Amino acid sequence: MSLVASLLIALVALVAVGPAMAQQGVSETEIVLGCSNSFSGPLAYTGEQATRYGVDLYFKALNDAGGINGRKVRTVYYDDGYKPQEAVANTRKLVEQDKIFAVIAPQGTAPVAATLEYLEENKVPLLFPFQGSPITRGKKYVFSGMTLYDRQSKMMVDYLVGQRKFKTFAVLYQDDDYGKAFLTAYEKDLARHNLKIAAAEPVKRGVTDVSAQIAKLRAASPQVTFLVLTPGPGAQALKERQKIGWTDTVMVSSGPLTDEKYLGLAGDAAEGVEGLSLWPDPLTSDLPGVKAYRAAMQKYFDKNEPNRYSLSGYVAAMLFGEGAKRAGRTLTRETLIGALENVKGFDSGILPPLTIGADHETQKQGFWVRVEQGRFKQLTDWLKSD
Amino acid sequence: MTAATIIHVVASGLATGAIYALMALSLVIIYNATRTLNFAQGEMLMMSTFVAWAVQRALGLPLVLTLVVAIVAGGVMAWLVERTIIRRAIGGTHWDVLIITVGLSLILRALAGLAWTHDEFPFPSFFPSAPIVLGPVRLAPVSVGIFGGSLALMAALWALFRFTRLGRAMRAVAQNQRAARLMGISVERMYSTSWVLAGVVGAVAGVLVAPVVFLSSKMGLIVINGFTAAVIGGFGSMPGAVLGGMFLGVLENLAPLYLPSGIRYSVPFVVLVAVLVVRPAGLVGRIERRKV
Amino acid sequence: MSLRRVWPLVALAALAVWPWVAPRYFVFLASLVLVNVVVAIGLNLLSGYTNQLSFGHAGFLAVGAYVAALTTIHAPAVPVVVTLLIAGAFTAAVGLAFGVPCLRLGGLYLSMATLAFGFVITEAILNLDTLTKGADGLRVPAARLGGWPLSSDTTRYYLTAVVAVLLVAAAVNLVRTRPGRAFLALRESEIAAQASGIPVALYKTAAFGVSAFYTGVAGGLFAFVVGFLSPDAFDVFLSVDFVVMIIVGGLGSVPGSIIGAAVVTVLYDWLAAFQNYRPLIFGTILIACMLFMPGGIVRALEPLSRRT
Repeated sequence: MSLVASLLIALVALVAVGPAMAQQGVSETEIVLGCSNSFSGPLAYTGEQATRYGVDLYFKALNDAGGINGRKVRTVYYDDGYKPQEAVANTRKLVEQDKIFAVIAPQGTAPVAATLEYLEENKVPLLFPFQGSPITRGKKYVFSGMTLYDRQSKMMVDYLVGQRKFKTFAVLYQDDDYGKAFLTAYEKDLARHNLKIAAAEPVKRGVTDVSAQIAKLRAASPQVTFLVLTPGPGAQALKERQKIGWTDTVMVSSGPLTDEKYLGLAGDAAEGVEGLSLWPDPLTSDLPGVKAYRAAMQKYFDKNEPNRYSLSGYVAAMLFGEGAKRAGRTLTRETLIGALENVKGFDSGILPPLTIGADHETQKQGFWVRVEQGRFKQLTDWLKSD
Repeated sequence: MTAATIIHVVASGLATGAIYALMALSLVIIYNATRTLNFAQGEMLMMSTFVAWAVQRALGLPLVLTLVVAIVAGGVMAWLVERTIIRRAIGGTHWDVLIITVGLSLILRALAGLAWTHDEFPFPSFFPSAPIVLGPVRLAPVSVGIFGGSLALMAALWALFRFTRLGRAMRAVAQNQRAARLMGISVERMYSTSWVLAGVVGAVAGVLVAPVVFLSSKMGLIVINGFTAAVIGGFGSMPGAVLGGMFLGVLENLAPLYLPSGIRYSVPFVVLVAVLVVRPAGLVGRIERRKV
Repeated sequence: MSLRRVWPLVALAALAVWPWVAPRYFVFLASLVLVNVVVAIGLNLLSGYTNQLSFGHAGFLAVGAYVAALTTIHAPAVPVVVTLLIAGAFTAAVGLAFGVPCLRLGGLYLSMATLAFGFVITEAILNLDTLTKGADGLRVPAARLGGWPLSSDTTRYYLTAVVAVLLVAAAVNLVRTRPGRAFLALRESEIAAQASGIPVALYKTAAFGVSAFYTGVAGGLFAFVVGFLSPDAFDVFLSVDFVVMIIVGGLGSVPGSIIGAAVVTVLYDWLAAFQNYRPLIFGTILIACMLFMPGGIVRALEPLSRRT
């Protein structure tokens, strides 16, 4: 047989076999997931916790128990340092070189928003990002992983105005998509109560000093000051207001910020702080799912202290596991999306029963907390965000 | 802005400025002795502070001993770097050492991240957090403390350079290396000494400032403010470094009060460019003229 | 045909064929290498030839990238070649505006000034957020070549390759001309050059301008290849990466710029799985190069090839 003929036959064979290679990121034995996240920069801690001690924690336990329909899950992560341009480059690498099946639990409003278009063009599912900008709403391949910011704002404002009867509000917000999304939402929700924001000061992403902003906000004498920041500047805000003796305002942290992490950085400046907690207290909650999470942490990473960030990654992995299990052995991006959309009343043992519908919103909950002796104590039941 | 606010902000500015002054002094000490710039000065500060923190956590040391650990770590690290790496390149152009210290800063930063991750950590402070109340004015004890501590260190350095033989030898090397050598001064020994001194100053600055800015692998970026401070004061002049540092610290804290808050981070760079363009000799110094 | 003659032809052939043999991600990576080659040449023109070490070239790259992106967004009818020229020219103007007052600064002062300059540029881009979208980042639309959008990695690769080859050829020729020899003289000794009648200030300024032009054009290509820009990515560490390229490759050498850019870009990507170790490795390479291989790879390989 001539060389040319055999080459042609090989090519035809390749093409014929090609489609059987099926879905990118899914092989006989494994499913590959990944994300671009923060392992350096302002969100280094939250990023590391959500991925290595959150998503990976759940998958470790799951893989040890046999995996999903006979496949184990493997994860790949790259560091973007909370920079949108890096996130895009990393995501491209994950999709084109590491050939992931789906993106799971990336972090940061601006970085995630930057990758949306690329992922949509390439039909890659974006699952449960640790961010809540409403920009992800209505996208076929995106399933939100956090109560969206407009819902968070509604819960916060309705509670503070409706139940606590506060009237003057100020906002210290990060000067990008994350901060501005909250700012716009606060404005809208306050307007519903015929109120306005008394003062708003931006903080550049990546910096820690907020002394000038705190001084300016104080001049407006707000009863409540919203903190829409990352842990570093969030803690600085608390320390700074203690330094200048500004006691007559309630500092309220946004959902992603509300965790003992930034309280720890603030030390004794953290008393009296309140916030919207999106997650039960990972250290003290008696809910069965949270206990299972703590047991897993103890087993695999016993030196790591439980926190809301790793808990969120843990739940993200759990949701993926549920969706993939239901999709069955023929796991493709389409079957996964279909399976996730049909999740009704899923009991994670951590959050209220989850129903994901066509809106692709997996979480809509939050409850109020206030710091007491260094820990956030629950003050209300789950608040309504509809 | 009320007077009380301005006083508070100026006090914070003087504290920040004091740290910048210490950074600037470290850079100037090395530059005067060796005619090279240590780009890794900030990372060395960061490392000594991290080592002290790690030791403190492991052994539960009181804060004063933690400072001692930092000083020892800073001095030893500086000595090792100078003897093993910098010394080899001292024959080359001043670029060579600068580039080597750039490489060093990358290495130190990566090592810190590997050892302790890139997270930020609270660092125990010598000073209480409750503000000092003087009528309507509130001063943060940490600002007063940083300022005072830095001043004490600067006074010690001044005494060293003015009254001790070592100090005189270093000044001799700074003025004219060849003449100093002819006088029997070991120039190489002065190189090491200048590095160790800079390392010690950096370590003290690190322990003072870490409670305020949090301990993290990116603490080293403070070297840029230090450099700007040194240039403002006239690069090479030690009193200039101190004045430059104070000026920069206060400016950085006042500017965002009257201008948009984001301006704070542009201040050192804009000032640096402005000084270099308009008056490169700085407030106090003198530009060297190279002899053909 | 001597080996020297064959090399460029082989290289050109390899460049032309690459997208047909390489997987999609490596086509993208090759584009990135070519962009960095242009930056490295630009940086080398400044630092390798005229001894003005720049730690702010990420700033020039950012200017070129944003100018190209904004031109494509607001004036989509402009052909991509013109867009790149605009990016280069604008960056050159910025470079000259900066270079002229800083000329009389020597050595270390100039390097630190470039460092400051890099920060000032990214701050400016960040603050002009109504135009540049600031910290959220800017999506770069596809470049258009005569009505066809360059929307695949392969088409963008060819654009980058053609532009890069042209600029490399220009650089090689520059070194052979009289201004090029003047640059070389400047590197050896500024004082001697001045004594020989070379207008040092003029040439140093020109070096700034040309270097900025090259980096600006590279910035435009970068914008199209990467597709998304945010100012925080153009930081001092990127500037340091460029310095690593020319040190590793060889100061004051066009082949050195090419080799250095290729080695550093590929190594950078290769180490993506070991991001925690990456700065460690790069820093060690930098120090090792300065101590043991001062002329870069090019000098180390010299015994293997004929001298210029």
